[in-house]
Parts: sequence; C-alpha cells; structure tokens
Amino acid sequence: MTQETAFYLLAIIAVLAAVTAVRLRNLIHGVFALVIFFAALAGLFLLLMAQFIAAVQVLVYIGAVGILLLFAIMLTERVTGDDGRRITSRGGFWGATAALGVAVFVLLPGIQQTDLNRLPAELAEANATAADANATMAPPHTVEALGKRLIEPYIITLEVVALLLTAALIGAVAVSQGARRVEDEEEASP
Amino acid sequence: MTLEGLLILSAVLFCVGLLGAFTRRNAVVVLFSIEIMLNAANLNFIAFWRYGENPELLHGPLFALFAIAVAAAEIAVGLALVIAVYRHFKTVDLEKLNTLKEE
Repeated sequence: MTQETAFYLLAIIAVLAAVTAVRLRNLIHGVFALVIFFAALAGLFLLLMAQFIAAVQVLVYIGAVGILLLFAIMLTERVTGDDGRRITSRGGFWGATAALGVAVFVLLPGIQQTDLNRLPAELAEANATAADANATMAPPHTVEALGKRLIEPYIITLEVVALLLTAALIGAVAVSQGARRVEDEEEASP
Repeated sequence: MTLEGLLILSAVLFCVGLLGAFTRRNAVVVLFSIEIMLNAANLNFIAFWRYGENPELLHGPLFALFAIAVAAAEIAVGLALVIAVYRHFKTVDLEKLNTLKEE
C-alpha cells in the first residue's frame, strides 16, 4: 500500500517537474526542475528494486548532467534577470497538439494493444512479491551480480561503451575549442 | 504500481520531452528535453525487467546502464556543439541558426 502511494507521489512529481522544466522561461530554474525530475526518477528506480541504477541516475544525471547544463546555460545566456533578450518558445499550441497526438494516437494505443499478459499476471505478481521478499533479507540483484553480468556476456559492449565515452569526451573538447586553435596555428605558422 | 501504469507514466514523460523539443527555441532546452525522453525510455527498461521473465539475468538494468552511458556521451558532445555554435553566431536561438557557415 505504501509502495502504491510512493509510486503515485513520485509519478506526479516527475511529470510536474518535467513540464516545469520544459515550459519555464527562466532557464536556471528550468534546470533545477529538471534535477527534481531526475531525483523523482531515481526514486522510481529504487521502488523497482534497481538500486544501482538509482545510484547511477543520481551520480550521472544530477551530479554531472545537471551541472553541465547549468554551465552551458550560464555560458550562452545572460542570467541577470532581464527577460527581454531571452529566447522564448514559439508555436506552443501546435507543439502541444503534436505531443498530445503522439501520446494519444501512438503510445497509449500501443500500450493498450500490446499483449502484456504474455506473462501471466499471477507470475508477474509472484516475481514481484519474490523480489520484495528477497529485498527484506538481502538486496536481490546486487552490484556484484551486475558486475559479473557486465563482464561475462557483455564485455564487448562494455568496451565499446568505454571507447564511445572516451571518443565523446575528446570530441567535446575538440569541438568546443578546436576551431579557434586551428586559426591561431594558421596565423602563427607563416 | 503495475507494468501498465509504469508504461503510461513513461509515455507521458516521453511526450513532455517531445513537447519541449518541438516548442523551445533555445538549443540547451532542446537538449534537456531529449534527456527527459531518454530517461522515460530507461524507466521502460527497468519496468519490463521488474515485471518480465528471468529478472535474474539483469537485462533491464544493464540496458539502462548502457543507455545512461550513451546519453552522457550525447550530452557532452551536444553541449560542446552548443558552445561552439554560440562562439560562432553569438546566439543559441535555433530559429536564427539557419546556415552552416557564416558568410
């Protein structure tokens, strides 16, 4: 019962925070709303027994992405409070219509029509309660199990992701300051 | 808290992100709208894992983990591009960025 309450509470917080983040004109406040959204999602992951993913959500999204977005906004926007020069949104009505259309005509019918009961409801309940029972004794799916799975069948994926992250970080540094560097060198070389 | 409830929540969050990506003209806000959509997808992975078969194989959390890593790479490159564009055009208004090369 308390789990149910927590789910609805977190769901409402997540949706409200996401809408606020997306519609707010003050971008700094928008990023703080986004951080609340990330935190609510971390709570949902905890409710779903994915403790490690919840921790990663806090570390990566709240810790890194939030701060990165704040820096990007402060570097590209005047945040002194004059709303006149801010970039505003436009076409709110059509955007809302399109997003609502996707929800009503694509996603929700998809959810309704998909045969989620391929897994019988009793079995799903049994799985869930078994997980709950495990949770009272010990964490059902520990970081250890996750790490072993990461090494055993998914080692190639893990290495590709590591390579991707390295390439992305080098690329980010190169893109954000590379152009000027090249010009300087061209000026300096002749 | 049913699988269906989680899927509906995820669909709603995805559409909120879509709304942001459609309507906002600031490149940074479009980027974080995309983050909202990616998070909604992650919620789906975890929900299917929890209510699906063979939870001990941990497919859902692993997929979510990889998705988070790719999203982090995406946001790093995306913000670097936004800052590079800002250096060049002195604005991040997407409607004013209509050329790849400044004449």
